[in-house]
Amino acid sequence: MLSRNFRLQKVGDFNWLKKHYNFEKIAFSIDELIILDVSRNNRDIVKFSNVVKEVISNVFIPVSVGGGIRDLNDADLLLKSGADKIVLNSSLNNNNSLVKELVKKYGSQFIVASIDYKIENENFVVYIENGSRKLEISLLDYIENIENLNIGEIYFNSMDKDGTGQGFDIDKVEFILKQITCPLIISGGAGNELHFIEALKHCLIDAVATANLYNFIGDSLPKSREQIIKHNIKIANWI
Amino acid sequence: MTVAIVDYGMGNIYSVQSALKFLGCDSICTSNKEEIINADKIILPGVGSFKQAIENIEKLNLIPVLKKAVIENKTPILGICLGMQLLGFSSTEETISKGLGFFPGVVEKFKNNSLKIPHVGFNNITPPHNSILYSNFNNNLDFYFVHSYRMSTDIKKGVAFCNYGEDFVASFEYQNIFGTQFHPEKSQTNGLNLIQNFLNI
Repeated sequence: MLSRNFRLQKVGDFNWLKKHYNFEKIAFSIDELIILDVSRNNRDIVKFSNVVKEVISNVFIPVSVGGGIRDLNDADLLLKSGADKIVLNSSLNNNNSLVKELVKKYGSQFIVASIDYKIENENFVVYIENGSRKLEISLLDYIENIENLNIGEIYFNSMDKDGTGQGFDIDKVEFILKQITCPLIISGGAGNELHFIEALKHCLIDAVATANLYNFIGDSLPKSREQIIKHNIKIANWI
Repeated sequence: MTVAIVDYGMGNIYSVQSALKFLGCDSICTSNKEEIINADKIILPGVGSFKQAIENIEKLNLIPVLKKAVIENKTPILGICLGMQLLGFSSTEETISKGLGFFPGVVEKFKNNSLKIPHVGFNNITPPHNSILYSNFNNNLDFYFVHSYRMSTDIKKGVAFCNYGEDFVASFEYQNIFGTQFHPEKSQTNGLNLIQNFLNI
């Protein structure tokens, strides 16, 4: 399994993950789980779906799964393996008809649109294909196109901040967030609970995502959740 | 006890089955007439479009089967998300479609245009008095919702409400007919507890 950093730090394979992380336990500190296959070569959707099945067999929260979904069959397979939603990235640009078909078959709520962006010379640039291909379209136009496809949520990731732990890229993108009308998950840069709290207090952000904290620091997630609740941010309580 | 999870080609069957397995309950995913009629409990899951779902159920000839099991034999049924909506009278999703008509509820789009649709995430609900589904809960009644259409009903008894711009049906318990708009199989211990309550009936 890889951390979701575009410089891709490899932290261990699936067996390592199982040995070091009790997913059943981690799942009680989070509201949703996102599993992405970020392999650059030799993607194998069947193998990936089996990993998904195993990771989430005792996880009772919503699971979004993505990476390398090319057609309806891939999405069906992941759904059957326990995915509640699928995460699309490159298809949002390369294969609009697939997005439309999926929305028609499973509804808008089934599709999480993942957008990777970088700031280059003060311009917001969209990247697809695991962050390897730059698009010419402006980020604002891209978001408008995507929302017109009737997707359910946007997973908005700053490639500049991803993996840095320096905090989310909120101030710079605020004018973009204002344009987004569907539920928004912000990602890239969370390094401590204050970053979560700052983002969750922001009225344009619906959810925060991290791959950093739980991969690299002991019991940060349960503690972050406690702190978020202490700051009177309304998140779910379980029995 | 046998629990039949109705498989009509749409829905997160694996997740529902995993939750039952976790609770130590055997279940079968099936579209077989005999298996559904002979089951002690029925779960009707569902993710996707109402119209497509009811068409699939019709194609599999399951409407008379479900009627026999639920209305004649009084087998307890739990509809989840779209499965709950299917238990209602009708839905206006895409076009007007008739539901199974087991519960007097109608499904329409959220009225408030200023809120983000779908309604997605954990939200808290107000349980009904003397509830079976929420019988051993404390005050933390958060459950996971993801939907663009919501059900309304004139029935008050046994109905839990959630608010998202307006009150809508979060769950109902109506004789042997149960439904949750939220996903109990995706709502942590709260959801597992609720499923256990249904299994205990």
